[in-house]
Amino acid sequence: MTTPGTTPPGPACGCPDFRMSRRRMLGASVAGGGLLAAGQMFGDAFRQVAYGAAPGGNVVVVLSLRGGSDGLSIVVPRGDDHDRLASYRSNIVVPEGTLLGSDPRFGLHPALAPLLPMWNGGRMGAVHAVGLHAPNRSHFDAMEEVEDADPGSSARVGWINRVIGLDGIKGGPETGVSLGGTLLPTSLVGQAPALGAHQVRDFGVADLGASGALRRASLNTMWARTGGPLGGGVRVALASAQKFAPLVDDHEERVHTAAYPEGPLRDVLANTAALVRQDLGTSMIAIDYGDWDMHEGLGRLGEWDWMNRHLTHFAQALKVFFADLGTHASRVTVVTISEFGRRVEENGSGGVDHGYGNAMLLLGAGVAGGAVRGEWPGLRREDLEDGDLAMRHDFREVLWEVVANRFPTVSGRRTSVFPGLAASPAIGIMA
Amino acid sequence: VSQSPVEPTAVRRVGQRVVVHAAPKAPAPLPGRDRHLVRRFSWGITPELVADVRRAGGGRKWFEKQLDPGRVSDPAGSAINGWFPSITQPASKIFTNQRDDVQGAWEVATDLSRWTVARRVHSKRQVHEVMTDFWSNLLNVSLYHDEAMFWRMDYDRLIRRHALSSFELLLRSAITHPAMGLYLDNAFSTKDAPNENLGRELLELHTVGVDGGYTEADVKASARMLTGYRVDTWWPEFKAYYSPQDHDTRPVKVMGFRHANGAADGRAATAAYLTYLARHPSTANRIARRLCVKFVGDSPSPAIVRAVARAYTANRTAIKPTLRALVSHPDFAEAPLKKVRTPMEDYVATVRSLGIRMHRPSNDDAFVRAFYWQYSANGNAPYEWPAPNGYPEAGAAWASAGRVLTGLRHHQDLAARWWPTAQASFPTEASLLPPMPCTLQQLVDHLGLRMLGQKPGAQVSIGVAQVLGMKRSRRLTRDEVLGDYWLLRRIQASLLDSPHHLHR
Repeated sequence: MTTPGTTPPGPACGCPDFRMSRRRMLGASVAGGGLLAAGQMFGDAFRQVAYGAAPGGNVVVVLSLRGGSDGLSIVVPRGDDHDRLASYRSNIVVPEGTLLGSDPRFGLHPALAPLLPMWNGGRMGAVHAVGLHAPNRSHFDAMEEVEDADPGSSARVGWINRVIGLDGIKGGPETGVSLGGTLLPTSLVGQAPALGAHQVRDFGVADLGASGALRRASLNTMWARTGGPLGGGVRVALASAQKFAPLVDDHEERVHTAAYPEGPLRDVLANTAALVRQDLGTSMIAIDYGDWDMHEGLGRLGEWDWMNRHLTHFAQALKVFFADLGTHASRVTVVTISEFGRRVEENGSGGVDHGYGNAMLLLGAGVAGGAVRGEWPGLRREDLEDGDLAMRHDFREVLWEVVANRFPTVSGRRTSVFPGLAASPAIGIMA
Repeated sequence: VSQSPVEPTAVRRVGQRVVVHAAPKAPAPLPGRDRHLVRRFSWGITPELVADVRRAGGGRKWFEKQLDPGRVSDPAGSAINGWFPSITQPASKIFTNQRDDVQGAWEVATDLSRWTVARRVHSKRQVHEVMTDFWSNLLNVSLYHDEAMFWRMDYDRLIRRHALSSFELLLRSAITHPAMGLYLDNAFSTKDAPNENLGRELLELHTVGVDGGYTEADVKASARMLTGYRVDTWWPEFKAYYSPQDHDTRPVKVMGFRHANGAADGRAATAAYLTYLARHPSTANRIARRLCVKFVGDSPSPAIVRAVARAYTANRTAIKPTLRALVSHPDFAEAPLKKVRTPMEDYVATVRSLGIRMHRPSNDDAFVRAFYWQYSANGNAPYEWPAPNGYPEAGAAWASAGRVLTGLRHHQDLAARWWPTAQASFPTEASLLPPMPCTLQQLVDHLGLRMLGQKPGAQVSIGVAQVLGMKRSRRLTRDEVLGDYWLLRRIQASLLDSPHHLHR
């Protein structure tokens, strides 16, 4: 999470530094922790139940690469399409000889080397040419569309919220958790209760220097005769906090921050792993990982080059994350998503502007990896859509394949999670 | 006996020194009716506000005076206006500063947020601040929108200018403002390639409402009517202009509105269209209902909604008589302390209740700059709702567990004087006390009067005594209270955590 004082203003690119927009503005680290998010924005507080989904269940971690990641630098075509890519973006194309993995059609950016064992072992895969049902090149609107994932509806309920509201998953506010940011992302907003925090230790009651039990008792007394939505909300908060108390109290031992590489994913993945190991019934975890809006200086393979640096951190941090999960890794699937891809052609600043089709990465339990799955439109001029990688898979198809695979009890509820999403042949990214 | 502060993980900067001032005397409580009016139409009751109400001659007289904010003397608010010079720059300057890497537009937008919250805390023009919030939410233009951001500061000035004038003036200026045009895509809408986004939201969200009786054909016509208000940013140059060649000149029919619309310059026709919508009975009903949900209760009676809508229509959408009708209706006086405070209402009222005074900032540590990183975590920072429909006004939306825990943490951070504290002053602890020695109950009552405008009652007092591990009859000396790190802090934070503070 960037802080206001250390983030430079955005590039002169037609999109003001999106990193600072909305959730990016929430420089929680400045406050020294202690920031906890809004929680559910709609709905009936009385329906909140302070029990998570059943323990021992599967967990899906949605890692949002905010800013529009350049999928063509992450999962790179080989062969003729690589030649074409090199002609469109000669200054920044990842050299074919450096690509990783044995998929004959695609290779991974070399910075992803720490994850290569997972890829080669079939526990990491990718789907390319993924996008919104129609292009939208505004960060703001596209992010809303991706997270709402219900085109044409004004209900303003996020897709993750729809998942955690389904029978079979439904639980308390700890079922859906957002970590690393403090305001719930749109994907988590809706009737089903959800929690958001910078880190797990924030899921406690500010103790006023007293014991947690005394403080909870005092609050319960103060609110004992207060009904209404907030009376219910306070009682749920106190019960949730009690449930989180062991994790909050021992967070220094239980959160293995030091094991992770320095960088924006360090705290948030360490906290995520601790939350999963605690097994409170959390089913869905949303994480924001910003700063992918590479309009200028995307760079090549130098240590400080923007894309290379980001992917290095991403790969190292995720490698540690799966190790840190220990035996719980068998329950956890990570899927990356971004609001749009980038233009195929580089711009005059050694970067790429907002585009359309993008790649999604999938790691962990249930993934049929080792290769790029799904259709590929190609990179010939006539294959492009307004200069962008065309879309072959609606991002919702990929998410649905993950959700249906990891939560079999809801696998018949596609249109409850993604209204209007037609049935489509399986992409095959999940085993 | 002074307790040692809690373990270091939970305590930030314990024992740091803060700048202090003497708190004003605790006033006698206002009569219940006045207290209710002031709670609903201010950002939180304070001893100073109680004194202002008394000076004005009662709640309704105070309210009447507030409806003419230019005549409310406001030295604190004027001072704050000088603290954030970036927000007074014209949109074109904010743009070029962004383009030339001088200052990011997001920094300016964040200053707008800070300035707004500072005004809510310190300005004497409380009703104006409350209504600015209300209309900004109805006509939401999200603060950090990629492109609307350049114009967002100017848009704020527009809302403030019309916050107490008439809805038709407000609507006409807001819908045709470049910020709205960029936010809802009207800036790029042309007769050849109309974009229906604003044309639709104007009907659905800003005026008649989704059940207001319009058709899809009306939406299309609405969008055609609005063509011509162009805004360019990055290309070819930064400007907002009316473009007759982009305006669709075919006749327009939307619900009962008919216009030949033959002129290349469609601005007069657009004004007529927006005036029609502002005065439409469905709009009257919708605005009246939203006002009632904000100021009366989550489920207002049809009677009060009707009364407010009638006043709105009879006064050609003028806002002051509409608000008078609302506060005059018998339903208004019912159910005090039944509206859930939004997280932002809680935050502002917390700073006010604690008597914190913000000073002109000289760096990013200053309270009035750093507090953004505190309040924005509550999910309700000014103008940050990411969609055109605005933050929800009903209490159930703000009753989540996460909201509660965040609020409690902020109460602790501020009541304990942990963060932020720089370039602000806090009341001396001694000046907060009643005549000492006194019982714990007397101390709680005295602080309740200061912070909540009333004694907190038995249930809350028992809860406060519980966290202190004392009986309410316990006799406390001045030295005992001032020598204990936690005693006053626990009482103050607990009062902020109580139902009395978290409702209005």
